[in-house]
Amino acid sequence: MVRQWTLVRWWIAAWAVLALGGGAVLARIELAQMREAFETNARIMHRLLSQRVVQHDAILATLALLQPGAEGPAEAAPEQRLPALYPQILAVQRRDRDTEWADPALAAAERESRQLRRATLAGVDFAAGRYRLVLAAQPASFALTIDVRAMVPWAEWPLDPATSPVRATLEQSGQAFVLQPGQVAPGNWTFEFRKHLAADSQPFDVVASRTVGWDELPWGRLLLGATALAAALAWLRHGLRQRAAHARAEELLRLGQVARLNTLGELAAGMAHELNQPLTAVMASTQAARRLLADDPPELDTARGAIDQAVEQARRAADVVGRLRRAVERPDLSGQTQVVDLADAVRRALYLLEPECQRRGVTPVVEAATPVTVMAEPVALDQIIHNLLMNALQALEQSPAQRALTVRVDRQAPWGRIQVIDSGPGIAPDALPRIFEPFFSTRAGGLGLGLSLCETLALHMGGALAAGANEPRGAVFTLTLPLSPDAP
Amino acid sequence: MNPANAHHAGHAPLSPLIHLIDDDAAVRDSLALLIGTVGLRVQAWPDPQAFIERFDRQGIGAIVLDVRMPGISGLTVLETLVAQGVDQPVIMLTGHGTVEMCRRAFKAGAAEFLEKPVNDEQLLEALQNAVRLHVRSRERHQADRDARERYAQLSEREREVLGLIVAGLTNKEIGRALGLSPRTVETHRANLFGKLEVDSLARLIRHYAALTDGG
Repeated sequence: MVRQWTLVRWWIAAWAVLALGGGAVLARIELAQMREAFETNARIMHRLLSQRVVQHDAILATLALLQPGAEGPAEAAPEQRLPALYPQILAVQRRDRDTEWADPALAAAERESRQLRRATLAGVDFAAGRYRLVLAAQPASFALTIDVRAMVPWAEWPLDPATSPVRATLEQSGQAFVLQPGQVAPGNWTFEFRKHLAADSQPFDVVASRTVGWDELPWGRLLLGATALAAALAWLRHGLRQRAAHARAEELLRLGQVARLNTLGELAAGMAHELNQPLTAVMASTQAARRLLADDPPELDTARGAIDQAVEQARRAADVVGRLRRAVERPDLSGQTQVVDLADAVRRALYLLEPECQRRGVTPVVEAATPVTVMAEPVALDQIIHNLLMNALQALEQSPAQRALTVRVDRQAPWGRIQVIDSGPGIAPDALPRIFEPFFSTRAGGLGLGLSLCETLALHMGGALAAGANEPRGAVFTLTLPLSPDAP
Repeated sequence: MNPANAHHAGHAPLSPLIHLIDDDAAVRDSLALLIGTVGLRVQAWPDPQAFIERFDRQGIGAIVLDVRMPGISGLTVLETLVAQGVDQPVIMLTGHGTVEMCRRAFKAGAAEFLEKPVNDEQLLEALQNAVRLHVRSRERHQADRDARERYAQLSEREREVLGLIVAGLTNKEIGRALGLSPRTVETHRANLFGKLEVDSLARLIRHYAALTDGG
């Protein structure tokens, strides 16, 4: 039991290692996918915002080039219609020739713009969500006040700013405008994205970050994988155990046969010696007596003594045989019987003989319509069935084709019956009456004890074993055993 | 105890003696009786060890040995006897002889290997053959020993002359080789014929040629 538990622990350890490894791989794949999605979204945000700021440059350039309404009053200036067209443009300011900006910051920006020949920033106030952009031109220069939030094309925005876990900001020299707050979960993995907008005039950084929390790992799939793995391992273990059990059973069977042969060999050698001694004495004594009687005159007294000795030694030989019989006499099996299902016993035996069947290309057919339970000693029953099946398989070896082996289980009250039917060469009519005799064998090298033993075992269990011919060819061995009392 | 020995006690003490070693009393007695019917004396031994220690090695006869005995195997006994230079032929008896056992027995020097229960004619014939062989071998050894003793009585000069006679030289040639007159050679020759108790050149060569080879 302890060994069993140790083995189970190894299997569990193997499962844990494999599940952890597999889980790690799965999590890494998931994280990689998340990172890719995050980067794709961040790039989309960057592109959308870049398009917008470039648009601002273009608007300013257009204003500078066309100088609309330069001569008219400020109120009538067409550039004042821009905020209506572009929601992000809060206001458009204009400095005509010979006038000055009210705000010195705008004046400074204009100077810079003139120098750089492009628009420049004139005050970024991300806290208020706006910034100003100035382009120096002739005769008038223009300034745009831009609302950052309105600048974002929300319709095309890849993420839902309310629920997305991604934090996105626009940053410029320490100031940050939060485009979407994201959700900062405790977690191990953080993705970062930071890129300049594609316009020199508005040097903002698009910064995105995302923290993946533990709860975002694909727990469902991990659990499913671990379960599947456990199932696979259990299946494997079951398969291996079954194979081991099969191998063990075969080994036991083989060992049993070898042991039986060894025992038999020992028995025969011992018997030979035990019998040889008195037989040697009998023979020598009688031969001596014959010679003494042939003498002239015959030595009658000595001859008589020799004959007495021969008789005594013959008796000794008989005692040896009697002792042997008593030693190998099997205990009465009738008291040890129990209820046994015949079909089960047949299947057990066939399972053990599976390799033997395969080797000979035989597919045994079991015909067992209804359960038949008999009174039998299970080991003796197994031995009989095993022997009958082995006999059949050996007989089938001699027929080149159509190797059919049928085992039929039925009842003929008050008997339960197993019939082993083969399509082999069958039993010669003159051999049939002797087939259960000890040491009678039709097989070269056969001891001739198998069927004799089977019959004895069957008799001891209150049953019988019979042999007959099968039509059109082959042999039928029928084992009958008393039905169990509770059998229907 | 041993009816066979008792019954045939009247035989001459120099008649061949068969040693029978078997741990089974019934087998011992019956075989002893059977062997006794052809006039051979039998000494039966239940214990192989006692037999090895005490049996008469000088006597003429043979040994009948059972292969299977408790304590010591008959094959081991056989090998011990051969190693000790025992020249009596050994007949092995076995209840269940294998080829391997048979091979080992013959290799160790067994004269015969018989299966139990043994046929009387086979056993008795084997015993008689063995005894005959033993007698002949003992006679040959005795003859060799006698020849060697006589040869030892020869003088140095006589041995030289003998060597040259065996080599096929005439008296004249021997005299020339040894620097002697043919008459002196003739005297030596007559002397050594007398000492070696031979009356013809043929006998001389047959019995003593081997001795002259060694010098």
